[in-house]
Amino acid sequence: MNAIGFAWRSMVRQPARAALGILGVAAVGALLFDMLLLSRGLIVSMQDLLDRGGWDVRVSMGELPGSGLRIPDAVETAEAISTLPSVQAALVMRSATAQIDRASGEPLRASFQGVTTRSSDPAGSRLRAPWTILRGRDAEAPDEVVIDEKIASESRLEPGSEITMRASCNADVEALPATRLKVVGVAEFPFQITNESTTGGTLDALRAACGGNAGTEADLILVTSTSDADSTAAAIRTLRPEVRAATNTEVVGRLQQTGFTYFRQISSVLTTVTVSFAVLLITVLLTVSVNQRLGEIAALRALGFSRMRVVKDVLSESALIVGIGGLLSLPLGLLLASGLDRILKGMPGIPVALHFFVFETQALAVHIGLLVATAIIAALYPMRIVSTLPIAATLRDEVIG
Amino acid sequence: MKSVPGPQSSVSGGPTEGSVVDAQNVSRVFSMPAGPVTAVRDVTLHIRNGDHIAVRGPSGCGKSTLLHMLGCVEPQTSGTLLFDGQDVSQLSDARRSLLRLKQIGFVFQRFFLLPMLTARENVELPMSEAGVAKHARQKRAIELLEYVGLAARADHRPSQLSGGEMQRVAIARALANNPRLLLADEPTGELDEATGAQIAALLDRVNQSGTALVIVTHDAALADRAGRVLMMRDGQIESERVR
Repeated sequence: MNAIGFAWRSMVRQPARAALGILGVAAVGALLFDMLLLSRGLIVSMQDLLDRGGWDVRVSMGELPGSGLRIPDAVETAEAISTLPSVQAALVMRSATAQIDRASGEPLRASFQGVTTRSSDPAGSRLRAPWTILRGRDAEAPDEVVIDEKIASESRLEPGSEITMRASCNADVEALPATRLKVVGVAEFPFQITNESTTGGTLDALRAACGGNAGTEADLILVTSTSDADSTAAAIRTLRPEVRAATNTEVVGRLQQTGFTYFRQISSVLTTVTVSFAVLLITVLLTVSVNQRLGEIAALRALGFSRMRVVKDVLSESALIVGIGGLLSLPLGLLLASGLDRILKGMPGIPVALHFFVFETQALAVHIGLLVATAIIAALYPMRIVSTLPIAATLRDEVIG
Repeated sequence: MKSVPGPQSSVSGGPTEGSVVDAQNVSRVFSMPAGPVTAVRDVTLHIRNGDHIAVRGPSGCGKSTLLHMLGCVEPQTSGTLLFDGQDVSQLSDARRSLLRLKQIGFVFQRFFLLPMLTARENVELPMSEAGVAKHARQKRAIELLEYVGLAARADHRPSQLSGGEMQRVAIARALANNPRLLLADEPTGELDEATGAQIAALLDRVNQSGTALVIVTHDAALADRAGRVLMMRDGQIESERVR
C-alpha cells in the first residue's frame, strides 16, 4: 500500500475529522481564491473594457480620462492626430447631461455621448462608436440617437420611437432647449455607471441637442493605431504636447497606482490571513491525528517502515485533505465571487461592465501553488513528530499508558 | 507440523546454522532529570538460528530495553551489537529500518494492528514496504493467515477480532518478510490463559520452523517452553537456564 493509499485509509478511519479538515480547507480556499481573483480583477476587467472597440490610445487633458478637463479644439486635434502615419482613426467624444421627457412622471436623467470619427484611412472612417449595438442600428444622422437597455425598458422605447431630449453641455446653462430625436438602436455602453442611463449619437446630434452651446471642446479622443500603441502615444505627445496621450495599458497602470491599489492591498492582507488559517487548521488536525497514532507509528517503524515512509504518509494525508478541500474551494469560490461582485458593483460610480472578481488562469495557478505550499507547511510539524519519534520509548509509553 | 510459509512457497527449509545476533557487553543508559539510569548493563548474548529464548525478570529490570536493542530500535550506549555480522551502530537509520524490515519481526503486547486495514492488509503491510509485488504479497498474506488459523477472518478488521485473533494476525504480520529473528514483548500479556496458551503454541511452531525467537515475558508457563531462559535483574542477566 503506497503512502497515498495509506493516507486515504487513515482519513477514512476518522471521517468526521477528515470532513472537518476538508470543509475547512474548502471554505478558507474559497476565500483565498476570491482574494486572488480580486487582486487583479479590477485591472483585468478595466483593461478588457478599455480594449473593447479596438481603441488603444486615449487622449485627454487630465492625468486620467474622465478627469473633467476638456480638450480645446478637439475635432481639429483629432484631424491632426489622424494624419499621423501610425494612426488609423481618431474618435472625438463629448459628454453632456440630458433629460428625456416622459409621458408621465419625472423626466429621465441620462448622459448623452456624442462622437465623431476622423481618419485619413477609408477603413478607419468605418470604425464604430465605443458602444455595442444590441438592437436596431447605430445613430448616423444629427436627429438620431441610440439608448441603453435601462431607458428602453423604463420608458418603453424601441428602435423607431421618438424622444424629446433636453441636453446641457455646460453646467451653467440652465434653460435647456428641447430636441426631438429618433431612437434608431439600443446599445450597451461599456463605461455606463450602475443605475445611470446613457444615450449616444453623433457629435452633431449632441451639438444640436445642446442648442449650439457645445463649443469646440471634447472630453476624450480615442485613437486606433495601425502599429504599436506606445509609439502612437509618443507621436501624439510630440504632435500636441499640451494633451496627454496614454495607451490602455498606461491608463490601467495609472489606475493601479491610485484607486485600484487599495483592493490589491486588501486582497494581499486577506490572502495572507486565509493561508495562515488554512495552515493552522491542517497543522492542528494532523498533529492531533499523529499524536493519537504514535503507538501505531512506532510499531510500523519497529516493523521496518523507514523514517521517510512515515513522513510521506503524513505529507500524503495533508495533501489529500488540502487537495480535496482545494477542489471544492473552486466552485465555492466562484459562487462567492459572483455574490461579492454584485455587492461591490452596487457602490456608486462603478461601470456596469466592470468586475471586481475576474477569473484568470494565473490566479488559478497561484491558488494551486498556495494550496500546495499550505499542504507542505502544514505538514512540517507533524512530519517532524513522526520523523523524530523515539521508537522504543514510544512503544514503552504505549504499554505503560 | 506445519512450517512457516516461505516467501516463495508455502513450505520453508530447516534452520540454517550461524549466529543471528552477537551482543558483547551492551549497556543502555538513559539520561533522566534525577541523573543517569542504567537500564541494561554489560549484557553479552549470542542468538543463533533457531534459538528459543525467554527473558524473565521483575518489572523495570531492563527486559524490554534489551529486546528493543536486539531489535535495533534502541541504540546501545556502550558495547557492540552485531546482527548477522554487521555492527548495528554503524548503520544509518535507513539501513537499520531495512534490516528490521527484512530480518526482524516484532510482536507487541498491544498488537498494534492498524484498525483501518483488514487482517490480510495488515499482514501485507511489511511486504508492501519491502516492495513485494501485489499478487505475491496477497498470496503470502493468505498463506500466513492460514498458518495462524485465521484464513477465514482475512477480510475482518481488527475491531471484529478477539484479542487472541489480533495477536495471531500480529504474528502473521511479523513473519511476513520471513525474518531470521522474531522478538515478542509480552505477547500473552493482554490475553486470558487459554488464549495465551494458543499463542504460545503458535510461537513454538514458528520457532520450530527455524526462526530464532526471543520472548520477554512475566508468564512462567510461556517462558518454560523456551530452550534458554534468561533471568534479568537490575539490567543484568543474573542467570541462564538451558533446557
